[in-house]
Amino acid sequence: MAIAAWAGLFWFLLLTGRDDLYLSTRTIWVVPIGAVLLTAAALGRLASGRVRSPEPMHAREAWIMGLMVVPVVLVLALPPATLGTFSAGKRAGFGAVGFTVSVGDVGSGPLTLIDVASAQFSKSGEQALAKRAGEQVEFVGFVTRYPDTPADEFLLTRFIVTCCVADATIAQVRVVNVPPGLFETNDWVEVRGPIYPLGREVIVNASSVEAVPRPDRPYLTP
Amino acid sequence: MADVAATRPVRNATSRTALVVVGLVVLAAVGLRLADPSRVAWMQAFLILLGSLLIVALPFVALGALASALIEVFVPIGTLEKLARLPRPLQLPAAGLAGVAFPICECGSVPVARRLAARGLMPSAAVTFMLAAPVLNPVVIASTYVAFRGRTALWTMVGGRFLLGLLVAVAVGWVVGNRTKDDLLRPRPDDRHAHHVELGPPEARWRRFFLHMGNDFLFMGRYLLLGATLAALVQTFLPTSLVLSVAGAPVLDILVMMGLATVLSLCSESDAFIAASFVQFGPAAQLAFLVSGPMVDLKLGALYAGTFRRGFVWMVVVAVFAATLVGAMWLKVVAG
Repeated sequence: MAIAAWAGLFWFLLLTGRDDLYLSTRTIWVVPIGAVLLTAAALGRLASGRVRSPEPMHAREAWIMGLMVVPVVLVLALPPATLGTFSAGKRAGFGAVGFTVSVGDVGSGPLTLIDVASAQFSKSGEQALAKRAGEQVEFVGFVTRYPDTPADEFLLTRFIVTCCVADATIAQVRVVNVPPGLFETNDWVEVRGPIYPLGREVIVNASSVEAVPRPDRPYLTP
Repeated sequence: MADVAATRPVRNATSRTALVVVGLVVLAAVGLRLADPSRVAWMQAFLILLGSLLIVALPFVALGALASALIEVFVPIGTLEKLARLPRPLQLPAAGLAGVAFPICECGSVPVARRLAARGLMPSAAVTFMLAAPVLNPVVIASTYVAFRGRTALWTMVGGRFLLGLLVAVAVGWVVGNRTKDDLLRPRPDDRHAHHVELGPPEARWRRFFLHMGNDFLFMGRYLLLGATLAALVQTFLPTSLVLSVAGAPVLDILVMMGLATVLSLCSESDAFIAASFVQFGPAAQLAFLVSGPMVDLKLGALYAGTFRRGFVWMVVVAVFAATLVGAMWLKVVAG
């Protein structure tokens, strides 16, 4: 039953697309693999269970099997959610995101939050980004505010996930010139405006900030 | 082998037990839906991290259980015993390098190593394989290359991870020495059941295969659940900024990065991206993170505790940390 429950969870994640809330696009392939393997294991186990003199299951084992199903229940019963401001605060200590895009990518084409996060990581990246000061950008992320954040500013945050949410790092820009009181912490917004990189801090002077629904893929993959 | 099930009084599950367990699970589902604990920020982060760790790791545990069942049912027992007759200086590096051909994460290599040792491979070689596979496999080496691409320390990190990973795995295998499988492996109650089924007719081979696969998955799964819960708790509350305060401190930086790898319990295929993000630390500390993490972490600790005897688990932990520390310090002296 425990194997079948986990197989069911993997099928559920696959069919509803909720695997995007836990994994990056690089590792999402583990979900169909898990679904097929565990379904085969559950069916095989069911068939192989019919031995001539089956041993009874111990009561302790039954409780452990029950515990193993609890995470399945948690994922199925709770509404879909993503990491938010609480985790962004804990992960703000990462030196930079652990990947690099080429300086050429930062120097040309539309700027993404991945470009910005990656550029903060090296001197050449910082210089390439600095050359684009004043250019218009469009970023989607969630609102992060701390007690010392001025009322007309917020940090626009997006998590970058390489394998699963456990390895999430953050991409963050400071958005200024925001109408005070319009957006709550963890609201998803689209910010438009000119970008001004100042060393390791990147500022966007908002010309517009609009509330948007949470993207289907809330985490970015480098 | 001592039989744990025989030494403790056990109560069998009745239909009433099953009903109570199922009832509680259903009650938990309804209660969770109504109470919605994810409204509390830390609880939401914890639940997402726990779900994420389990969803990414369980397919690998299932793959490991599949490989383990294949070895148990389809590899003739004499094959591994022949390998065990090779001299140890040859056997350990060969077992380590065999990891190159086994591109799955650390969670999958534990059941395979257990089965290899149980089927007659020299336990030291099985342990070497278990520790080396998650570090040396091509996917991990490629991800290390991608994570450090563009840095001056690129080849130090890629080559260093491969070589130091192999050396540490072989060193731990050497420490394991001539211990037998009974010295290492913790007896499992289902071994008795599996053996019982082996006495059945030969056409029941597929039944044995699924029985072993299911047993291994369920057994490893429970320890993974325990380890992932601990890792998710630490990840929820540990501010990474704490770690940065020791960057540059001699020896301490290496120890702290090894400790961080242990508590974060990252998959070996993605940990290079996190290591690379700690730009305040030098290559030696980053390498210590990349080598010790896939060999010893919280979720692996729980898997080891379920697979091996307690004293042996501590021995592996100490040997991995000591060998990694020595290797990383040597690199610090050589490469700065």
